[in-house]
Amino acid sequence: MTEVAQLLVNGLVAGTILAVPAIGFTAIYAVLRFPNFTVASHATIGAFAGYVANTAAGFPAGAAVGVAFLVAGVSGVITDEVVLKPLRPSGALTAAIAAVALTIALENVIRFIWGNDLRGYDLPLRRDWQGAGLRIGPQQVENLVIAVVAMGALFLFLAFTRTGKAMRAVADNPTLAGIKGINAEMVARLVNFVGMGLAGIGGMLLGLDTSIDPLTGFRVILSVFAAAVVGGLGSIPGAVVGALAIGVAEELSLLSLAPAYRTAVGFVAILLVLTVRPRGILGERAF
Amino acid sequence: MATFAGLYALLALGLNLVWGMTGMINLGLVGFYAFGAYVSALLTKKAGWPMPAGLLAAMLLTAGAGVLMALVTARLRGDYLAIITLGFSEVVRIVASNEIWLTNGSDGISGIPGPWRGQVSPATFNLIFLVIVSAAVLVVFAALQRVRHSPYGRVLRAIRDDDQVAAVAGKPVIAFKVEAFAVSAAVLGLAGALYGHYTSYIAPEGFVPLISIYIVLALTAGGTGNNVGAVVGAFLVVFFLESTRFLTGGLPGLKPVQVAAVREFLIGASLIVVLRFRPYGLVPERIPRHATPGAG
Amino acid sequence: MTEHTSDISRRTLLAGSAALAAAAWAPRRTGAQGVPIRLGTLTPLTGAGGAYGPSMRKAMEWVAGEVNGAGGVLGRKIELMSEDDQTNPEAAVRAARKLIDVDKVAAIMGTWASAVTTAVAPLCWESKTFLTTVSGSDTITQLPHLGYLVRTQPNTQLQIGKLGEFILSLKFKRVFVLAAQTPFAAPSQKRLSEILPKGGSELVGGVIYDKDKTTFRSEIDQALRAKPDLIYLNGYTPDTTVVLKELFKAGYTGAKIAQGYAVNQKLLDSVPAEVTDGTYTATPSPAVDSAGYKRLAKFLGAADLDPYSCQCHDHASLVILAIAKAKGEATGTAIKDNVRKISQGGGGKVDNAVEGLKLLAQGKEINYEGASGPCDFTETGDIIDCKIRFDVAEKGAFKPVKLL
Repeated sequence: MTEVAQLLVNGLVAGTILAVPAIGFTAIYAVLRFPNFTVASHATIGAFAGYVANTAAGFPAGAAVGVAFLVAGVSGVITDEVVLKPLRPSGALTAAIAAVALTIALENVIRFIWGNDLRGYDLPLRRDWQGAGLRIGPQQVENLVIAVVAMGALFLFLAFTRTGKAMRAVADNPTLAGIKGINAEMVARLVNFVGMGLAGIGGMLLGLDTSIDPLTGFRVILSVFAAAVVGGLGSIPGAVVGALAIGVAEELSLLSLAPAYRTAVGFVAILLVLTVRPRGILGERAF
Repeated sequence: MATFAGLYALLALGLNLVWGMTGMINLGLVGFYAFGAYVSALLTKKAGWPMPAGLLAAMLLTAGAGVLMALVTARLRGDYLAIITLGFSEVVRIVASNEIWLTNGSDGISGIPGPWRGQVSPATFNLIFLVIVSAAVLVVFAALQRVRHSPYGRVLRAIRDDDQVAAVAGKPVIAFKVEAFAVSAAVLGLAGALYGHYTSYIAPEGFVPLISIYIVLALTAGGTGNNVGAVVGAFLVVFFLESTRFLTGGLPGLKPVQVAAVREFLIGASLIVVLRFRPYGLVPERIPRHATPGAG
Repeated sequence: MTEHTSDISRRTLLAGSAALAAAAWAPRRTGAQGVPIRLGTLTPLTGAGGAYGPSMRKAMEWVAGEVNGAGGVLGRKIELMSEDDQTNPEAAVRAARKLIDVDKVAAIMGTWASAVTTAVAPLCWESKTFLTTVSGSDTITQLPHLGYLVRTQPNTQLQIGKLGEFILSLKFKRVFVLAAQTPFAAPSQKRLSEILPKGGSELVGGVIYDKDKTTFRSEIDQALRAKPDLIYLNGYTPDTTVVLKELFKAGYTGAKIAQGYAVNQKLLDSVPAEVTDGTYTATPSPAVDSAGYKRLAKFLGAADLDPYSCQCHDHASLVILAIAKAKGEATGTAIKDNVRKISQGGGGKVDNAVEGLKLLAQGKEINYEGASGPCDFTETGDIIDCKIRFDVAEKGAFKPVKLL
């Protein structure tokens, strides 16, 4: 029984961390209407930006996460302007393929600079906290807190600031938003910045407890997509719910499957949802 | 190198059938490539089957896998299909890595028999294999060209351009899609099986999504919807890959991993450039309809 | 197409294709006077074995240099074609094909990882190229290699036998194995499970993991549930580093034992001492008292040589002496037929190739004893015995414990 409890604990932590890039992914989908695979490479970019901040400039984890957000966000805006925006008129499929190609290109820039070796952040190695037959790492808890803080900040931004509300308007109804004078292009840039920035935070959080390499983002993209789809593409609360569901499901799968099959869980989840309830848990609507 | 171009040409022809002609993107084609390779390798090495039987089995079983995949994904929108099929190829790779009892896991399968390998000099073996692959390409090309010019091909194109209209016109769209997928998968599986017999060694990490992107690039650059374009594109891509090796060979002090990174970067960048500036490819489809695969 | 190895400094692609075309119908260089003898080296210059590859290659280059300086083999110079196997079977297969198809080497020397050797071996025996390796997996000499393979590393049977003996001598009762997937993972576990009960201990479980992951939390949970007092880490440096760190975080306070090529000084330097303290390591011991070892140590400028460089030194020497014994016929088949004639049996003991060549030229018999050991091979290509050295990591450095 403690085994199941331990898996639940791990799953909730993993799910909360997964929610961060999932929100980014779903937000971009809500405004730009295509699944942006480049979230994968931006998770990696964020992870490495944080790594440089941490190991070369000595930033502590919290500050390094901020660096991850900024670098990934800026990269997201630039690559979108240069590569993906000109292709959007050609349709969602072309944009999706271009995003895959872009992810590969960006991943290899990272690989060129840092090679394929695993790298760890420069953080003190601390023993897990044990109690009631369960164990949880201090780093896991810290990651949890960072994830919750990031999501909280996002919710506040969307609910209470003018730009946030503008973003929601464009996602909900682009034509009406245009009539009301909201600049859709600026909103698109903004959502790319925020979305990819969140992906960057997600990538770093994944690596803080373990290690990072150029494939960090790619490994998690299927789970991110699954979280967004399960929760309902385009819905931010949906992404959070979906991420928790996927996180827990992946951990529970360890009861009967080898650890390597965790990605398969996300894959199966996507198929199930798309066949049975394509709108996902919270439906395909905007924020 | 020409042999690899031939293998990639087979893959491109296979992709063209489902994507160029039927409008279903399959970014997971490397999964079928791997599937065919493993089937033939295991049957010829562990069960001692002769190579032609291995090839045939690879084609049939991969076609079966294709049917399964098509049934599950037939109704999906283009961009969802792209990511799902990508996920599928990753799942295939994970299964190959994990089920050590069957596939020998990440150690891979070595010593896959090849036609007369060990009995002739390596150079002669390479030549013999080149002939085999070229023959395969010609046969598949001819067959697919016939499909293209047939009424069957017209139905596929109709489905590609607007499958709702095709359904209204009374065509069993799902059945056609599944069939096209199955045949495409068979071609992909054949290419995989040939690959294994040629290199004598296969492993899960050789079947990465990047290869699917090579083939998408080949098709996009060569001309979607178009078998000649597929083959031309494949040769272009292989030539491109070889010349990047040439270029980076000239840059001193680069480690192998950096050379590989440059090559992969250029592939990603090329696909983006082609999508942007020449989405119809070099050999445009000679049918009076717009040739880009149905935007979602 | 995935990446090609790129030691391309001397061959551009065009030259390579032209050579391939021209050489395709040219006979292999066998006995022609003055034509260089081509031998291939395939070592892990990068990847998990990257700590050893460069030095392995240097050892072979040194032997070739010494031999060429003394006039070569019957007037023919040795030419080494070197490739990087990247500790990766795919890359190794491509590199081996280049060495065999394009460079037409008579032998390939130095493959390190067992998975690499397993992938490359069929290419070698099918093309009648001789393969010398430092890989240990039992499965390798069990391959149908027709005699085209010898190895200077003790095989799994031998290694695990001594490992088990050591574990029993330290009185550990419950052993768990955490192994990376390699050709020797399953055989090692099996052998250990047979040896331990003979001394009253038990193998309480084992897990084989895919080494290309960033975390092994579930595998470690599984290990800890079995409550072992000793965990055997049977992986390579990158994954073992992660496992050690996670064992520490999980609060494991029992003992650990690993192979010396995985837990080496590089690993000790990369993690805090408290993570590695108390980890035992097992390393095959080269013939440290031999003149060959001492001379090699002097050339490489290291007091303590890794076993692989010593073995590679012997690979090059054995191959060169075998070719000389075959009156200069530089083919894999000639090496296969002659290697045991110069490596064992009654004959003047020599410890370096130059002296051996001199004696062979005088028509005398020789018995090469190398820097890694006596180099006496069985019919299947294994060495007969080897000493294993056991150390323990303490405060970031190794201390010797036992020699078995």
